[in-house]
Amino acid sequence: MAEEGKKTIEVRGFLHLDKTFREKYGKIPLVYNLEKPITGIELAKMLEVPQEEIEVIFVNGFVQSLDYTIHPGDRVAFLPPGCPGPYRIALGFYGKNQDNEANFRIKAKKDENPG
Amino acid sequence: MNKFIRIDMTSLGVKIEETPEKYAGLGGRALTSSFVADEVKPTCHALGKNNKLIFAPGLLSGTSAPNSGRISVGAKSPLTGTIKESNSGGSFSQKMARMGIKALVIEGMPANDKFYVININMNSVTIDEAPPEILGGTGNYKAIEILSAKYGEKVGIAIAGPAGEYRLPTANISFKDPEGNIRSAGRGGLGAVMGSKKIKAIVIDDTGAGQVPIADLEKFRAASKVFAQALMSHPVSGQGLATYGTDVLINILNEAGGLPSYNFTAGRIDHNDNISGETLNATITDRGGDGKVSHGCHPGCIIKCSQWYPDKEGKYITSGFEYETIWALGADSGIKDLDDIAYIDRAMDDIGVDSIEIAVAVATAMDGGLLTWGDGKAVLDAVKQIAIPTPLGRILGGGTAVVGKVCGLYRVPVVKDQGIPAYDPRPVKGIGLTYATGTMGADHTSGYCIAGNILNVGAKIDPLKKDGQIEYARAMQIGTAAVDSTGMCLFVYFGIADSPDGYQALIDMINAQYGLSLTAADVDKLGESVLKTERAFNKAAGFTNAHDRLPEFFEYEPCPPHNVVWDFTPEEIDEVYNF
Repeated sequence: MAEEGKKTIEVRGFLHLDKTFREKYGKIPLVYNLEKPITGIELAKMLEVPQEEIEVIFVNGFVQSLDYTIHPGDRVAFLPPGCPGPYRIALGFYGKNQDNEANFRIKAKKDENPG
Repeated sequence: MNKFIRIDMTSLGVKIEETPEKYAGLGGRALTSSFVADEVKPTCHALGKNNKLIFAPGLLSGTSAPNSGRISVGAKSPLTGTIKESNSGGSFSQKMARMGIKALVIEGMPANDKFYVININMNSVTIDEAPPEILGGTGNYKAIEILSAKYGEKVGIAIAGPAGEYRLPTANISFKDPEGNIRSAGRGGLGAVMGSKKIKAIVIDDTGAGQVPIADLEKFRAASKVFAQALMSHPVSGQGLATYGTDVLINILNEAGGLPSYNFTAGRIDHNDNISGETLNATITDRGGDGKVSHGCHPGCIIKCSQWYPDKEGKYITSGFEYETIWALGADSGIKDLDDIAYIDRAMDDIGVDSIEIAVAVATAMDGGLLTWGDGKAVLDAVKQIAIPTPLGRILGGGTAVVGKVCGLYRVPVVKDQGIPAYDPRPVKGIGLTYATGTMGADHTSGYCIAGNILNVGAKIDPLKKDGQIEYARAMQIGTAAVDSTGMCLFVYFGIADSPDGYQALIDMINAQYGLSLTAADVDKLGESVLKTERAFNKAAGFTNAHDRLPEFFEYEPCPPHNVVWDFTPEEIDEVYNF
């Protein structure tokens, strides 16, 4: 849940985005000024994170697709492709990443059956 | 592979037989579990003379197939009382396969108190008395060095550490890796079974062995190439794991609110940066020296998820520094110093204990007041006491369930007496179903690989909701049982989950090696068959559906930040094994 009255969001980046954010902004989480709701796509553009480097985003601990709306007060994290294990299914990535360019493989194969 | 070696420790006799026909088409977990179900009395005491310990390479082990060097070890588990298969990297599996050894079985137990070393080479199998300098608390690192000097630097070694000698139910079987370091068949206490049979170590020398025969070499090579491409072109197996190791999951599970913390009282910590895979990578890179951010646990591994973690001076501390170990010590026990965790990991490898079970037991001991939250130095001292063993060492070495009882706790995170690993079942419900119903107690790796058409179900899964989770847990356990039988590392799943070509290539390699024409449906059937065999053994050992339950506290203690509880009914849980 977004915190009432806040005009900032907390932003984290995982995998290589951890290093990128630390080098660019000096720390994680980045506290980013935000007065109006924006989508994850818009936030990624503002932070110069290429869309293909994001599989899903977390918003307040929930996995969301990149076009999800972020509100002031939210806690956000960008997750590039690279989460190991069956957790991409268990954590719900498969339901959120189907239209994301980062998931070239999943998108290309989504109608096929691996088994 | 046609040799079936039986070592009778009661008579100290060795028999080398032809592989029985019924096991000819099996490997890895399919073979070990079938054998245990056939020959081990389900109600026997796991540390008594009627238990049997079996080592088996996978179907593809010893070939050039990438990531095919896993060794499976099976027996009745002294920790859980269930059937057990535990697998590991190292070079042991590939050497067995190249020597044509389908399985190595150890049965009976000697009347005397001597420890022995089994020495296997192309000419003979002998039972030697163990050198006294590797006994009585000598760590695995030193013992491997001594055995390598005695039997040859390139030999493969399986060893029971001090914990195995003391027959503690958390004892693992450690395997020498290509650099003389340690990989482990960790879970279920199989090192105690080895110790109960007075086997300190098994040394295998494949000098003079030929290549594994392959029925259709051209087809095999073609399939192997497709398989390797599927692994290397995937962002997880091709890049993510090699860079950050499995510890990359710290930040991900923490963000999802599913990182069990302070003995499963919360799902998120604030000190995740101290212990994350990203920090692990940065620390190894900055320190240099012996440090390696990427390393394979067996020859032929192309994923290379392991690493060498160095101290501040760049000197090697530990390798195979896994997410589950770092989670249990860092988040579940509140230790904030990654170096402290690395030294504890090294000590656990050296003593020969399951680093998940001991670390979960440590967090439970902290909840019970036996240790102080976050005190890494005290934990290192306590863990080292297992090698003596002091009473505290024996209690920790007894595992999570024992610690919970000794401390008078109800919040004891175990299923079938095995510690629950690093994914909280309340906000990550599919994993919870696997913990509850797995044939070997709580084990995240028993539900790791896809089978059947699960992607459609996967697209609908919300980790906090029940929908689709039963089908998910069932399919993942079936798929895992099949892959565990190939000798493949489970991490190949990452590459093949999103690539039907890669999955078919895995099957094509088996077909080309053995001259078979298996289909994906056949492989699914193999997985189902393995699970049914294991479950039948457990049933005969006294296990019922009532044992397929998570600890009760998950039902009434909400896990923050999502504040959810475990809410599957018994009837729903029982549906997982309705196939």
